[in-house]
Amino acid sequence: MKPTIGEKTFQAFNYLFLIVAAATMLMPLLHLLAMSFSSPIAADSKEVFLWPVEFTTGAWTHVLQNAGLWRSFGITVYITVVGTALSMLFSILTAYPLSRKEFLIRKYVMFAIVLTMIFNAPMIPFFLTVRELGMMNSLWALIIPGLIGTFNLVIIRTFFMGLPKELDDSARIDGCNDFRILFQIYLPLSKAVMATVSLFYAVGYWNTFQRAVLFIRDQDLYPLQMKLRSYLVSPEELAAVNMFLGDYDFNTTTLKAATIIFATVPIILVYPYLQKYFVKGALLGSLKE
Amino acid sequence: MAELSADRTSGSGTKETDRSERPAPRKPGNRYVENVRKHWMLYVMILPGILFYIIFKYIPLAGSVIAFQNFQIFNGIFGSPWVGLDNFKFIFTYDDFYNVLRNTALIALYQLVFGFPAPIILALLFNEVRLMLAKRTLQSLFYLPHFLSWVVVGGVVFELLSNQGFVNAIREWFGYGPILYMQESRFFRTIVVISAIWKEVGWGTIIYLAAISSIDPSQYEAAVVDGANKWKQVIYITLPALFPTILILFLLNIGNFLELGFDQMFNLLTPMTYSVGDIIETYVYRAGVLQGQYSVTTAIGVFQSVIGFTLLWIFNRLARKSEQGLW
Repeated sequence: MKPTIGEKTFQAFNYLFLIVAAATMLMPLLHLLAMSFSSPIAADSKEVFLWPVEFTTGAWTHVLQNAGLWRSFGITVYITVVGTALSMLFSILTAYPLSRKEFLIRKYVMFAIVLTMIFNAPMIPFFLTVRELGMMNSLWALIIPGLIGTFNLVIIRTFFMGLPKELDDSARIDGCNDFRILFQIYLPLSKAVMATVSLFYAVGYWNTFQRAVLFIRDQDLYPLQMKLRSYLVSPEELAAVNMFLGDYDFNTTTLKAATIIFATVPIILVYPYLQKYFVKGALLGSLKE
Repeated sequence: MAELSADRTSGSGTKETDRSERPAPRKPGNRYVENVRKHWMLYVMILPGILFYIIFKYIPLAGSVIAFQNFQIFNGIFGSPWVGLDNFKFIFTYDDFYNVLRNTALIALYQLVFGFPAPIILALLFNEVRLMLAKRTLQSLFYLPHFLSWVVVGGVVFELLSNQGFVNAIREWFGYGPILYMQESRFFRTIVVISAIWKEVGWGTIIYLAAISSIDPSQYEAAVVDGANKWKQVIYITLPALFPTILILFLLNIGNFLELGFDQMFNLLTPMTYSVGDIIETYVYRAGVLQGQYSVTTAIGVFQSVIGFTLLWIFNRLARKSEQGLW
């Protein structure tokens, strides 16, 4: 059947709308990237669009020499690596029994866990609990209180439940216990889903903000997002020079742009890998019983 | 859950043959003891997870009782005096609270009216894209902002809307003077809703696209034979097929109606926009975490949860009348 004129018009407008909207997803970042490589005068005179004007690396040189920013970068890399590893370990260990029919209290535990998605504890009792545990100004406060994400847990559990039963029947005949079934049979079969969930956790740790606001007061322990926030609020601190006394090849506008891009680059770098897996993972999690 | 009962019945069916060496019939209560004994490894595995949920989810939930206390940090929950509903009475006599509640409710309502349908519409538009490569490329772009932090998105928003920012550059190009969007209260809520849609609309389509792809194509073929055009196909086939998904997501959404997301508001708010943008979460942070008014702010949190749950209960009842609810 040939498309009607109306359908053709719709198709044209649909493409146009989607392309323009998709461009707005990327353009703000490209704009800031262009800003970060532009001269301070060009940046402040609204000349920069998507391409640097009066190209200079001044802002980047200055930002990349900022020891505080690198320190926060290191802290975020640390909590991302350690946090993701611990989160994966404990999510897997929790998901496995919940996927086993012979685990008798399975449905009660699962109910109690899913219930926490609806009944969120208010902020203050959560804050007081973590503080009572002595985690104020400790990087553990950025890892332990969010160790298991319920959504991620459900993804892993759903995947485990879909694995064929015959697998562990034969393993049991060979004398495998549950730990060996999990680590030697299940895990090698679930590389893709593990990659997905690890990336979800890693992005979560990389972007962690609220918990840092609640629990980290010591500036030397600021993770990257908090450092970025403090520099965005007071860019003079980032500039660390008196702008009026001298001719610099950066200003607060270009510095802020460079810092935002600096904090985003790792996400952009893993994004191609990320998006290979996440759609599948996001769907697995939604198919709850 | 159905599997569990099936497992139990089949288990009792084989019990006689398997365990015939055990003459005494087991008491039902011992089922659990025996399960622990036989599958103790599963219990060892799940122990850290259960501890996590108890310590970081259920203890704080139980700790909400400080809303009914005059909580003093040195006396703890067990030593602080009980004050009944005094904290709740206090917040309702407090002008700031009404302002914060109004801001929260209004922004939540806008988010629901504009933010909730956005991914549904986008998914329907995606569905009309026939070129697979174009579809995939567009989707990748739309998913990207979901992975950026609100600090980054907030920074981007501030930069784009600043005096020398991109939006004002466009205004100047058309001959208008600059507007300081982030400092003026009249734009704030619009900016909140648009930036939230920008960040999450693409990600939100995933679940709807999956639901669309599971629709039987023969339905559309039959509709075409009956002379239905594209628009009628969407109205009479696609949307009805999406309805259960929409309903469930709506119910999950309404349960957290007043929870707008701390990260977004904290990163977009400035003292100049407190009058329109200070919401429960940012207020609780300042008054509770920073100023130490633990009991009053917990009462606000409890109030917030009660509203959320009441809405969920009401809408779930409504949903059950037409389709199915969450329970």
